Amino acid sequence: MKIRKAVITAAGPDQRTLPLQTLIDRDGKAKSALRILAEEAAAAGIEECLVITHRGDAEAYREAVGDCRSWVRFQEQSEPLGYGHAAATAKAFVGGEPFLLMVGDHLYLSQTEERCAAQLVRAAEEAGRPVSAVQQTHESKLPYYGAAGGYPVRGKPGWFHIETVAEKPTPTEAEQTLLVPGMRAGYYLCFFGMHALPPAVFELLEEALAKAEDPRRVRLTDALASLVEREGCLAYEVRGRRYDIGVRYGVFTAQLALALAGTDKEFVLAQLADLLAQTLSGRDPRPASPAGAAD
Amino acid sequence: MAASRLVNIITATDETARHTPIEAVCEGLSAEELLAECAALETFRRRAESLYHRVRALLFLYAIHRFHLPGRRGVSPQGRIPYEGYLRLAAGQFEEAIQLFLQVQAEEGPSAGLSSALAASYYRLGFHTLAGQVRRSVRTVRGNQWMFRMGHPLDHPLRVRPELLARDAGGARPILWERTPVRMDLTHCGWSDIFFLAMDFPEGAKVLNVSIDLGVHGRDPTPRPPVEAFFRVIDEPILRLVSVDLRAVAEIRDLAEAFDFGRDYLGLLKAAVIAAGLIPPGVEGSGCSLPDLLARLCGKGRGIELVSKVNDIPKGSRLAVSTSLLAALVAVAMRATGQTRSLTGGLDERERRLALARALLGEWLGGSGGGWQDSGGVWPGIKLITGVPAREGDPEYGVSRGCLLPRHHILGEKEAPREARRRLQESLVLVHGGMAQNVGPILEMVTEKYLLRSGPQWRARLEALGILDEILTALRRGDLRAIGRATTRNFFGPLQTIIPWATNLYTERLIDAARVRFGEAFWGFWMLGGMSGGGMGFIFAPEKRGEALEEMGPLMRGIKKELETALPFAMDPVVYDFAINEQGAQAKLLRGEEALMPLGYYTLTLPRLLRRERQELSPAQRTELDRFAAACRTRPEWSGAVRELFEVMLPRPAASEAKGKDLQSLLDELGFDRAQHEQIRADLRAGRIGLAQNRLPPNVRIEDVRPEDVVDALGWQEAESGEAAECRKAGEAALRAGQAAVVTLAAGAGTRWTQGAGVVKALHPFCKLAGKHRSFLETHLAKTRRIAREMGAPLPHVFTTSHLTHRPIEDALRRANCFGYEGPVLLSRGRSVGLRMIPTVRDLRFLWGEGEGEAIDDPQRKVTESLHAALVDWARKMGEAADYTDNAPGQCITPIGHWYEIPNMLRNGVLLSLLRERPQLKYLMLHNIDTVGADVDPALLGRHALEQAALSFEVIPRQLEDRGGGLARVDGRVRLVEGLAMPEEAIEFRLSYYNSMTTWIDIDRLLEVFGLDRESLADPDKVAEGVRAVAARMPTYITIKEVKKRWGRGQEDRYPVAQYEKLWGDMTALPELACRFFVVPRARGRQLKDPAQLDGWLRDGSAAYVERLGDWS
Repeated sequence: MKIRKAVITAAGPDQRTLPLQTLIDRDGKAKSALRILAEEAAAAGIEECLVITHRGDAEAYREAVGDCRSWVRFQEQSEPLGYGHAAATAKAFVGGEPFLLMVGDHLYLSQTEERCAAQLVRAAEEAGRPVSAVQQTHESKLPYYGAAGGYPVRGKPGWFHIETVAEKPTPTEAEQTLLVPGMRAGYYLCFFGMHALPPAVFELLEEALAKAEDPRRVRLTDALASLVEREGCLAYEVRGRRYDIGVRYGVFTAQLALALAGTDKEFVLAQLADLLAQTLSGRDPRPASPAGAAD
Repeated sequence: MAASRLVNIITATDETARHTPIEAVCEGLSAEELLAECAALETFRRRAESLYHRVRALLFLYAIHRFHLPGRRGVSPQGRIPYEGYLRLAAGQFEEAIQLFLQVQAEEGPSAGLSSALAASYYRLGFHTLAGQVRRSVRTVRGNQWMFRMGHPLDHPLRVRPELLARDAGGARPILWERTPVRMDLTHCGWSDIFFLAMDFPEGAKVLNVSIDLGVHGRDPTPRPPVEAFFRVIDEPILRLVSVDLRAVAEIRDLAEAFDFGRDYLGLLKAAVIAAGLIPPGVEGSGCSLPDLLARLCGKGRGIELVSKVNDIPKGSRLAVSTSLLAALVAVAMRATGQTRSLTGGLDERERRLALARALLGEWLGGSGGGWQDSGGVWPGIKLITGVPAREGDPEYGVSRGCLLPRHHILGEKEAPREARRRLQESLVLVHGGMAQNVGPILEMVTEKYLLRSGPQWRARLEALGILDEILTALRRGDLRAIGRATTRNFFGPLQTIIPWATNLYTERLIDAARVRFGEAFWGFWMLGGMSGGGMGFIFAPEKRGEALEEMGPLMRGIKKELETALPFAMDPVVYDFAINEQGAQAKLLRGEEALMPLGYYTLTLPRLLRRERQELSPAQRTELDRFAAACRTRPEWSGAVRELFEVMLPRPAASEAKGKDLQSLLDELGFDRAQHEQIRADLRAGRIGLAQNRLPPNVRIEDVRPEDVVDALGWQEAESGEAAECRKAGEAALRAGQAAVVTLAAGAGTRWTQGAGVVKALHPFCKLAGKHRSFLETHLAKTRRIAREMGAPLPHVFTTSHLTHRPIEDALRRANCFGYEGPVLLSRGRSVGLRMIPTVRDLRFLWGEGEGEAIDDPQRKVTESLHAALVDWARKMGEAADYTDNAPGQCITPIGHWYEIPNMLRNGVLLSLLRERPQLKYLMLHNIDTVGADVDPALLGRHALEQAALSFEVIPRQLEDRGGGLARVDGRVRLVEGLAMPEEAIEFRLSYYNSMTTWIDIDRLLEVFGLDRESLADPDKVAEGVRAVAARMPTYITIKEVKKRWGRGQEDRYPVAQYEKLWGDMTALPELACRFFVVPRARGRQLKDPAQLDGWLRDGSAAYVERLGDWS
């Protein structure tokens, strides 16, 4: 199984400007969040990418991906009918191939040489089955993520068989249905914002959309739950961190993480140390040294 | 140690062996063998891994020390109880206490006193261990655990659902409305739903539980789900809790207040808020801000309003109204925060189980606790709830045999056909008999008896299980007559075998009356809940049910009227209308015009809003006001709302003034001594008297008495020769010559006996003796009758009364024709009353700081501490040492100590007339109403006569429960010292004997002390002068008692009040009075102060002893 296509969803009415945010990437270059994400996909061997946008946003996004324009396509969601509907519109682009699904409001930072998306794609290609990237997450963050329950794959650390999925569960529900043996109390496998999925997921999404009273309520997790039942899914614990840039101080945190993992690390640390010293002592800041600022 | 038969019983894998009763082993063993069993059990329980093995061993140890060792040859009747051990026990350090007691036992040999201390320690440790396990299990239920981990608002993982945040066109938010039926237990399950029981014997935990709608017959048009909870997001960062029934509102602004359960009447709502996870228990004490937490839940600047309503269903209904309300509040809050799938409609099985687990958590937090069937109303229809054996993977596995949560099986059409349900509704009359009693002690007794597997009780439990199967079969057939037969048999058979106190005279009179009135058409009685007297069911032939519905009310009220001075009633009886609820808990989102709280909410909250200018109100508040006004115009059931609101805003002052007047006139009538009262108030305020000042000066030397200071009469009852026989001969001669009379002190209201309910203790039918419920009054007369008949001479019996007890005792004696007693029965009317006072804060602190202060578990401690703080505020607000007048007059006035009882007999002419009629009368035997084993024992009378003493007091060898003074050498003089007068508590533990209060009096010698003789008794002035002179020499003690204040429908509050007393035992301090002290057996001298003592009293043979003393014909 080879994954060469990716879908990035960025059609949410409340996240229209997020992918356009400019950040300094690890290489010290200013890029839009969308471009950083596209580069994440490219590093995973993705050859074609589709970004689903809100109606009227495609052009601005095209500008934002810069050099990646050649292999990234854009498709506007005709109506704001929710996440499930947005994802389902990628059916034609994906065709009959497995694909990588990513969300447009997350940025990733790998803890290894291999980037996060690349880890997932390699894992899915190895497993030959649908795989969702997951991260062990404290229960206080449950209102922000989908989560999976299941059990570890014997002899393969970081792999899990998924038995249940739930979208933004309460810890009450999580404790009852999403416990994973061997994990610390109060931690759950939350989705990482990227999944390697088979094309069958579109049928399941369409079924869910057809059944739903309100299509805006249909989530990817509805289709994932059916997929778990139908063909079984795995979860893979990616060695990296995800940063949700849609939350309060999300862009700031993501920027800080990128900076501290990149070439400007020294400079940023010095700035931070200065700021801390000033805050703690109440004194005026010393002029910051420009040393280390690459461009 | 493996040879221990009791350890083998505990560890037996064979069921029959495991259920062997402890008596089967203990009855044939000597003291030495019993002690060897104790040693084996002690070693075993320390090593046992299974919680229930440990607990059963603890209860076995308790039973051996409580019932089997005392009285065995080789076990001394008296023995030192080390004070240090007592302190440890009181502080909840049970293990340390046990070690100290065992050490003394090893050094000084076994004694009844030590065994009493060991029994109490093992008992408390057993229950402490069980309670700990239930608490742990509640915390480990999946879905509850996270709440104990959360510690900061930023970590709060719950969010109020968006539907509840959206505003309508008028700016108002919707209200989530939860309605829940209550539950009734169709079989009475033999209390098998007690957690401790169900977790050890899941196979035997079975309940047939029915969800019902309820209405008060004649008040409510139709039955409806009585429990309602309302949830709404508000625009203030507060938690507003409103109980419509208790008429209480609290606006909580900080976290500490939310955990303060005793502060107001809203403890249940607070417990629900916490158990539902709105404020998870983990944040307690974290110092977090409540507005921050609320902002996380529902947005910055917003808060939550939670409103409860139980449709004025009276307390004590035995229908689990409180637990159902807790479950409803938990459910509505869980729905609102997405912890259930559906916002509205019913709940699925997983959600219902979680609501049950959370309600349990809430009960634990709030310091209350019911059985596991009590949230049954959350489920629909009729269900069989059963215990579940713990299996691998369950948190209970390996710890207890059963799981915490039971399984609910909803009966279908085959098991409970529609026709059967209809018949049930057409036959059953549900009532609240009006009694509201604490069932806590009963639940402990049930657990204890289960763990001990005593033969008859264990067989009764198995029989009750058989009755349940019978009822299930009858239900399938729709045979209500058979159900009625079975529930009646259950009540009179197994239930009363397990707990004799499940019944009472009132209930049995009611059943008899129903039988007489309805004959064959009365199909059966059925007890609901922990004990009878409150919620009960009567089953009738359908064609007679209509009549029964109308007649049961007047019938109950009639019997209540006869018994209300004898039994604690909290309210007038009511009859319910009911219907089976086939839906269980249901919720609805009220929007737009419908978005209104219950009517009672507005009478509570609107007055404050109406005082503000309209423009000051938020758009949402204005909209709500408009909707309220519209509802008053259009909803017929709200038509009286405006009038009600008017009453609230402009309350009538008349009631309290009238109460004040009643009290004043009563005081005048009773000859209340205002001058003396003012002097006492001044002394109290100035700190000259008070709890601390009750004590003897610390430099007084108080020592235990020596053997020569007492007359050892322990074995006299059995002795047929020697000193006892001689004394008996002398006593019998005196009795035959008509030289003796009995004086029973019956002035008291049994404050402790009924927890301040204010009934006449003498009339309380406390126990079945010789097959019938007997009051203290009748019991004492039965003993007098036996002696009088045996001696062939009438024995006058005087009951001293007070303003509280005189008329009821007089009526009871007249009605019962003195219970057939042939001899003279006289009443000595009390002439001395006091007016209770608000206690001083100093005394309250003294009381709580130095009282028994049993260490209690954390949540309960918090409840207690916060209650204490509230009571201190109350005392300050009311005025320290101010008159206590804010209650029924009977609760404000009090007798002023038993010292006055004999002087009263001098003043009111009773003694004079007795002596005129019987000049030969020389001796009186004075005793407390609750010393049920006291009788005119000829041997003791003879000894008193031969001693030529003025007063001979009976004392008993001290056991742990004997608190409140004792016999001592005080600076060399042998006398009785009241507990209140002990300079330090430890001294009491060095005293071997406890005062039973039973006193043999030589009339002439006593009169001498008062400066009187038989002739001068006729001179009232001289009598008054004599009494005043001796009274002045008696110390005045300040005591604090609890009184109940009743309000609402069956609600009760308890308040501490100060009163003063002079006590009879202090007569022994008068140097000119020759006093003697007789050591008598415990069965004779023990006082029954608390109904919780009754079960042990019955089982240790004391009841049989009293039965033998009486002539019950």
